[in-house]
Amino acid sequence: MDNLYIAPTPSSPEVDFKFDTHILSLRGESYPENAAAFYGDIVAQLREFLAMQSAITLEVNIALAYFNSSSTKMLFNLIEALDNAAAAGNRVVLNWYHDEEDDTILEFGQELSEDFPAIEFINRSVGAV
Amino acid sequence: MTSCKIADKYGSFFNLAREHQIIFYYVGYFSQHIVAAMADAVKLQLEVAGVAAPTRRKLFSSFVEMAQNIIHYSADSLTPASQTDGELRHGSVCIRREFDGSFSLLCANPIEPLMAEGLRVKLTALRSMTLEEIKLAYRQTLREDTPDGSKGAGLGFLTVARDAREPLEFDFDANDESGDSPVFYLKAAI
Repeated sequence: MDNLYIAPTPSSPEVDFKFDTHILSLRGESYPENAAAFYGDIVAQLREFLAMQSAITLEVNIALAYFNSSSTKMLFNLIEALDNAAAAGNRVVLNWYHDEEDDTILEFGQELSEDFPAIEFINRSVGAV
Repeated sequence: MTSCKIADKYGSFFNLAREHQIIFYYVGYFSQHIVAAMADAVKLQLEVAGVAAPTRRKLFSSFVEMAQNIIHYSADSLTPASQTDGELRHGSVCIRREFDGSFSLLCANPIEPLMAEGLRVKLTALRSMTLEEIKLAYRQTLREDTPDGSKGAGLGFLTVARDAREPLEFDFDANDESGDSPVFYLKAAI
């Protein structure tokens, strides 16, 4: 399966899904006009990849300095797909980066870790994302 | 002198802005490019002004939610209603500094008359909720299917309400001179 790379714009993140090396990263800011359209294809490709895997270790890096409400919804769906893969016998390590002063992103990460216990969740506080 | 005439004619507009401590104002059509450019300008301005990081984050987030609401829901549109990307719709956003140093964020846009009642019900309920209840509603909505007719995720007002210091204020002006559509106003104290 081909890797997925989408260059960042001021309002959408860099998507760097290296399916061949099992490292998936999202970086930047996320408030595209239509988050469902932006993330729809990404989540679809991720699901397609995950469906073919068994007993792999996947490293996921999410370093978003800001995401709007509709992106939050789509991130939730993306992480749910990862959780399903983890529950199906894969290992998923999620590095959740947040600015040390940003309680909102920290709290959202904590909620995700409670909702999706199959994922190994690593909270990474940084000075500036 | 020409400059005096300009001052006479338009000075009141600029003086009013100064009087109200307007730090950002835009009126016109909103596209995603314009929102991204405004967001950049707002972010820079708040950084330069030395506003504390948590306040900057709340202002930025609420600003983007309001601006994108205008792109998605304003009744004054240059693009067909069926278009879901590349939309261009009319409204205004304003950030003002209150005399106590806090911020107010305001937006206004025309809406379809039938939408007013739905907004009133939704925002009246939101106004009566405590912060804990808002957070709970946010968590529930995040896990539900996206409501019909919502282009976001039904989370926009909850996101703004969560960051505001006071209940959100709203109003409808049916007698606005700009046209037949009532104008919806929303204010968040940050």
